[in-house]
Amino acid sequence: MVGVNKLKTMYEQMVTARHYEERLVDEYLVGKEPAFDISAGPIPGELHLAAGHEASGAGVCIHLRNDDTVTGPHRPHHIAIAKGVDLKRMTAEIFGRETGLCRGKGGHMHLFDPDVNFACSGIIAQGCPPAVGAALAAKKRNTDAVAVAFLGEGAIDQGGFLESLNLAAVHDLPVVFVIEDNDWAISMPKDRVTDVADGSKRAWGFDLPGVRVDSDDALAVAEVAGEAVMRARDGNGPTLIEVQVHRRMGHFMGDAEAYRPEADIERAKQRDSIDRLADDLRSHGVTDDDIDEIRERAHERVEDAITWAKKQPEPDPEEAYENVFTNPPATAATDGGENGGAN
Amino acid sequence: MTDAVEIDSEAVWPADADDVDEAYLANWFVREGAAVDAGETLCEIQVEKVSIDVPAPVAGTVTEIAVAEGSDFDRGAVLGQIQASA
Amino acid sequence: MATESRDVTEAAETERELTMSRAMVEAIAWEMRNDEDVFIMGEDIADYGGIFSSTTGLLDEFGRDRVMDVPISETAYLGAAVGAAQAGMRPIAELMFVDFFGVAMDQIYNNMAKNTYMSGGTMSVPMVLTTAVGGTYNDAGQHSQTLYGTFAHLPGMKVVVPSTAYDAKGLMHSAIRDDDPVVYMFHKRLMGLGWMPSPSGPKTAVPKDDYTIPFGEADVKRVGDDVTVVTLGLHVHRAMEAASQLEDDGIDAEVIDLRTLVPLDTDTILDSVRKTGTLLVVDEDYQSFGVTGEIIARAAEGALDDLSAVERLAIPDVPIPYARPLEDEVIPGTDDIAAAVRDLHE
Repeated sequence: MVGVNKLKTMYEQMVTARHYEERLVDEYLVGKEPAFDISAGPIPGELHLAAGHEASGAGVCIHLRNDDTVTGPHRPHHIAIAKGVDLKRMTAEIFGRETGLCRGKGGHMHLFDPDVNFACSGIIAQGCPPAVGAALAAKKRNTDAVAVAFLGEGAIDQGGFLESLNLAAVHDLPVVFVIEDNDWAISMPKDRVTDVADGSKRAWGFDLPGVRVDSDDALAVAEVAGEAVMRARDGNGPTLIEVQVHRRMGHFMGDAEAYRPEADIERAKQRDSIDRLADDLRSHGVTDDDIDEIRERAHERVEDAITWAKKQPEPDPEEAYENVFTNPPATAATDGGENGGAN
Repeated sequence: MTDAVEIDSEAVWPADADDVDEAYLANWFVREGAAVDAGETLCEIQVEKVSIDVPAPVAGTVTEIAVAEGSDFDRGAVLGQIQASA
Repeated sequence: MATESRDVTEAAETERELTMSRAMVEAIAWEMRNDEDVFIMGEDIADYGGIFSSTTGLLDEFGRDRVMDVPISETAYLGAAVGAAQAGMRPIAELMFVDFFGVAMDQIYNNMAKNTYMSGGTMSVPMVLTTAVGGTYNDAGQHSQTLYGTFAHLPGMKVVVPSTAYDAKGLMHSAIRDDDPVVYMFHKRLMGLGWMPSPSGPKTAVPKDDYTIPFGEADVKRVGDDVTVVTLGLHVHRAMEAASQLEDDGIDAEVIDLRTLVPLDTDTILDSVRKTGTLLVVDEDYQSFGVTGEIIARAAEGALDDLSAVERLAIPDVPIPYARPLEDEVIPGTDDIAAAVRDLHE
């Protein structure tokens, strides 16, 4: 069972994540209206927002500790927030600032926070093998840490995912795979790319437990994930979970979703896991005032992070040559040479 | 001599962008002086991130490009003029 | 061996112009209309029309049997393109970003590129692998590479890099009709997308009829006597801009657009180097073990006595960083090119 305090924490993380995405929309569009130029404004490049995915990040990560590893996909903000990634430094990274999590080198798809063992990859499904590796390390070192790999439903046709399931299964590794099914792989609906509507059935081919949570229900996610994480922690091997989430925004900012039926967008917006969890809280006796207080705190935290991030300095161009190696060879390009190039 | 025909941005404004007042001219595919067929794509505009091809309303010669490539314009702006062929 | 005529790009101002993406699509559509064996598959190429508008409108004309959205399984569908090509069809398979090649490299390299040779020439693989390349819009290390050198390094693939709409169409016709696997690398910044504005060069007049541009013929974009600048893709336009800046300083740069890396038009490079005596190679790929080194090596092999100075500009062997000041630092800019040409001229 997931107690009321955990539910409150989840709710706060979900509200934080939702407000964060909504605020990033505002910040991202600065300099991009009316002409949408992806390279203009204070946040350039692609931005994949996860509004509608919150139940999965919060429902899974509520069971995790700092020493548990999480790998995220290209749509990572809600997971990072639930895992406890430093919100200010994450925001500074998205703004491309010197004090960002990755010193401005990674950007929003490539957030790394070793303090809470969080990493992500912009290449779909490619966080799965490293999660298996983290689980392997935990097993070899006899800790009870676990690893969780998040991926989208579009990524489950990747070899990297299927091979990871098999490797984790055959070595009984403490890893949980979480598919976030938002129905759309950019413009491709799930039924066009797979005949298996329930992605958790992929587990059957590896003789693993596979469970699908068929609704945007954070509590249900938390219950299923709790069992999976415990199973992993107890040395009983991996689990595959698929969570139905929904995509409230386009695949990336700038995606006009011309391919997507209007009714589908509306349906997605009706399925709000945050409202649903608020109802769950009320049924546990949490008052509306308490809920408002959580919301306010979450909003304030987001505003603080954005305000702080925007005040941070941009990286010095010379920083581009740093961090290629942990131990840079003596002959490696570090100063850019006479034309800013390598030696 | 026939009349000049306006290339009207309102004519191609998408129905689901009724609340949008501004757009962006992404590309012209003809220059002033070009002979065009009716329906030939003249330019591409962007309304709310959606690209829309603007067809020639009539066959003729493009006599004026009124909204330059790479600039913003208001809904209803005349993008250019075509002198209809006789 | 520089190509026949560039009149077409300077054609009558009344001629229709196209963006690079539309020119590519026009060639693909023509080939699909005229050859039932041509079909295209990739991620988001049907309803979406390609993330970079490389397939816009094809679904409407040809339907889902010939314009196929595929699962995100690059190993499977790129490998399937190899198999269909070996069975006599002429598939086009789009890899959304070249950076995603990693998951499917075995199909690309060990099958697509090698099967012709390893079968002793008894099989051929007439497919086109189209893919988006390049940075300049802050998409960081996994979505901004060109990887020109990686593909050109491995034998068995022809490698095409158009820089204008005119070339994009002619090279696409050639690619589809070629009996070998062709990797067709289009730069995102050159496609003419409303949401990623191009420089002014890539949109050109494009004939409505089909035409081919032979592989292995570089294009001398600007004739000059002082310094040879060899480049490709986006940097053709940056080099042209730099050349016009240098004109004011009395420096006359010759700009060569390679257009294809495999085959490589060494003769045009050597002719130019013999004339100018100096060589700058500009590349948007990593510097070491890549295009810049190869071009300079060929110049040294073929025209060492004529060469007085060489220089290169490329990504300085770092992954492509996200933040704008960092990305701007590592991708050669117009000013970097102008400065390097001045250096060589001194």
